[in-house]
Amino acid sequence: MRARWEEPALVMAEQSGTTHEQRAELESAGNALRKAGSFAEAIQHYQQAATASELPCADLCVKIARCHVQLNQPAEALSWLTRVVDVADTYTTWQSAAALLEKVLQTHTPQVKRAVRVAVLGSYTTTQWVPMLRLAALCQGVLIEAYESDFDQYQQDVLDERSGLYTFKPEVIVFAVHDGAAALPEYADDASKAVELEAGRWANLWKTAAQRSGARVIMHNFAVRSDSAMGHLSTRVAGSRYSMMQQLNRAIGEAAGSNVSIVDCDRISATFGKTKWFDDRYWYLSKQAVALDALPMLATHTAAVLAADLGLSRKCLVLDLDNTLWGGVIGEDGLTGIELGNGPRGEAFVALQKYILQLKNKGVILAVCSKNNDADAREPFEKHSDMQMSLDDVSIFVANWQPKHENIRRIAQTLNIGLDSLVFLDDNPAEREIVRQHLPEVDVIALPVDPTGYPQALASYLMFETSSYTAEDSQRAAQYKAKAEIAELQQQTGSLEDFHRSLQMTAVVAPFDELHLPRIVQLIGKTNQFNLTTRRHNIEQVRRFMDDSAYVHLYLKLTDRFADHGLVSLLIARRVGIVLDIESWLMSCRVIGRTVEAELLSQMCRTAEQMGCTRLRGTYIPTAKNVMVQEIFSRFGFEQVSRSEGGETVWEYDLAAHGPIENGFIEVRSTPDVVKQEVSS
Amino acid sequence: MSDQLHEQLEDVFQNVFNDDTMMLRDDTTAAEVDGWDSVAHINLMFALEERFSIQFAGNELAEFENIGALKHYLARKTGATA
Repeated sequence: MRARWEEPALVMAEQSGTTHEQRAELESAGNALRKAGSFAEAIQHYQQAATASELPCADLCVKIARCHVQLNQPAEALSWLTRVVDVADTYTTWQSAAALLEKVLQTHTPQVKRAVRVAVLGSYTTTQWVPMLRLAALCQGVLIEAYESDFDQYQQDVLDERSGLYTFKPEVIVFAVHDGAAALPEYADDASKAVELEAGRWANLWKTAAQRSGARVIMHNFAVRSDSAMGHLSTRVAGSRYSMMQQLNRAIGEAAGSNVSIVDCDRISATFGKTKWFDDRYWYLSKQAVALDALPMLATHTAAVLAADLGLSRKCLVLDLDNTLWGGVIGEDGLTGIELGNGPRGEAFVALQKYILQLKNKGVILAVCSKNNDADAREPFEKHSDMQMSLDDVSIFVANWQPKHENIRRIAQTLNIGLDSLVFLDDNPAEREIVRQHLPEVDVIALPVDPTGYPQALASYLMFETSSYTAEDSQRAAQYKAKAEIAELQQQTGSLEDFHRSLQMTAVVAPFDELHLPRIVQLIGKTNQFNLTTRRHNIEQVRRFMDDSAYVHLYLKLTDRFADHGLVSLLIARRVGIVLDIESWLMSCRVIGRTVEAELLSQMCRTAEQMGCTRLRGTYIPTAKNVMVQEIFSRFGFEQVSRSEGGETVWEYDLAAHGPIENGFIEVRSTPDVVKQEVSS
Repeated sequence: MSDQLHEQLEDVFQNVFNDDTMMLRDDTTAAEVDGWDSVAHINLMFALEERFSIQFAGNELAEFENIGALKHYLARKTGATA
């Protein structure tokens, strides 16, 4: 018997496989169209293929951009090209995108936050890198007009007053230099003197360049080569080149004044992997000191520092709570049920909170934006012993059931900062997508599925870069908190239809069955918020409903383009003459705000009609947790027929007069056949 | 096999040069392709390494007589027939 019920699961798995195949099919159909010159049609295919994953694949972005170039749509081309920055790190894709960018910029000047003249002075070949820097900067809203010194001419360019550097009138000068440009011997008897002299040489170059041009300086420090003949001993010998190079990096950091920013190439080369960062074949062939594959990373980091210098860093981190700052759902699992502190996941949430506090201490404002009852959301902050963050760390705390993009807009207004100062952190891909769609100015961090990867995902986000650190920075959060308390919150509304459609939701709605019974009973037992009557039935009681032909019982399993959410909602109703009376109706809060409730009601209307019922009746029994559904019946056009002293309300819907409730956003794959189910059970 | 290699090669060239209409013949040389300068050459070699999961030795990076020679080389390295 059981095998029969396992079939749907198998079908689902195969279907997600086809989605991948469909993507490949769409892409190759797009390729054919593009080669045939049908660019607009090709774009349609590519864009559809791009929706297969949360972030579009980089090759698709480049292909779409190429089509837009052919159609003479430069603005669209640029918007797809800049997306490559977030999704690709391979050299070939970046090179292709950067080359196309150069081509587009020859004839088109985009609308940007800042245009800036940047001179790149290299000690190695920077021809491949500069277009990538332009691409990475454009992604941050910065349009670079670039000057590039000839190979290894950085000193001459700085020292010669009549050089091309000064004719160019740079606003920013980037020293793109490599290990070989540090004039240090393999061994020095007086290491500190050698380092001091070399640091002084660089400081003088910065000073001269800045005085003559008025430009800010961005200095790449040295990726220290790890192939020291002295081996491990070199760390103990101050005069070894390996030790001196590390000293030099510290010395130039200390020598950098307020008009000099450092890009820590030693750190990013280590992150990238030094054995890959140094690919000497390309040095010998073309004097390329940084492996081509590492150039995109160098470009994004340099662009982040540049944007910070121009005052374009992000100011505020907007945080989801459930499954982001802790594991589980506070409104469902309660204070003792959430994962925080204990176990590998619990420890990871602690680590994330600690990292967030470090960001706060360097001046990042923290905001909370959570779909929760306000009191529930605050409880862990107030009472959980493993909670690292306190309510005082949070400048503005928004917990309600409004769509997140509306709340985020309010947060920006309240703090009086632009949407382009915000970064959004949420474990839920669907919430991330709605924010991307409604608020493209907000940066959305794509978190991995596993929470142990959250801290690293946040750490690799670059736009909290700041060019200075002051005591004031750590006070900023408090200032904004005060501001937020004074400001009046204004509510803005936005249409959700497009978002709902874009989720491509499909559902299975069916009568209860043995296979799903454990999950059904679990949901009945633990759902608090979206639960109209909060009647806790055990497995035997549910079986009695299933055996009683007077009862209608439906569950709903939801899938969208991001995830299979499983069985998330159910409804039990009893037939009393011409009335179908809703005994229980509940939904997991994971899927709130996606029209699941409307879908289940609409399915129930259909069932009622089949059974010859003409009225629906519903009851709301208030509890401490279910405020969010107290208006739900009136929202769907039910009329209140009674109200008890305890606040219990009864509602009715005239199916004959108003017709069935409809919901167009979820495609239902198998509608229930009540009679058949009863026969088979 | 030969055709498949040729198509893959064309695809790499089209991406590097951002030109969907680019066609290659076995006797095509760098000199007759617009924009095939030293920088483009490096990009090309790197893209080939990535696409075919191979690594050129230092002296191999510098020069191939023509597309045919490159194909022979790739075929040998990847075990396909040219």
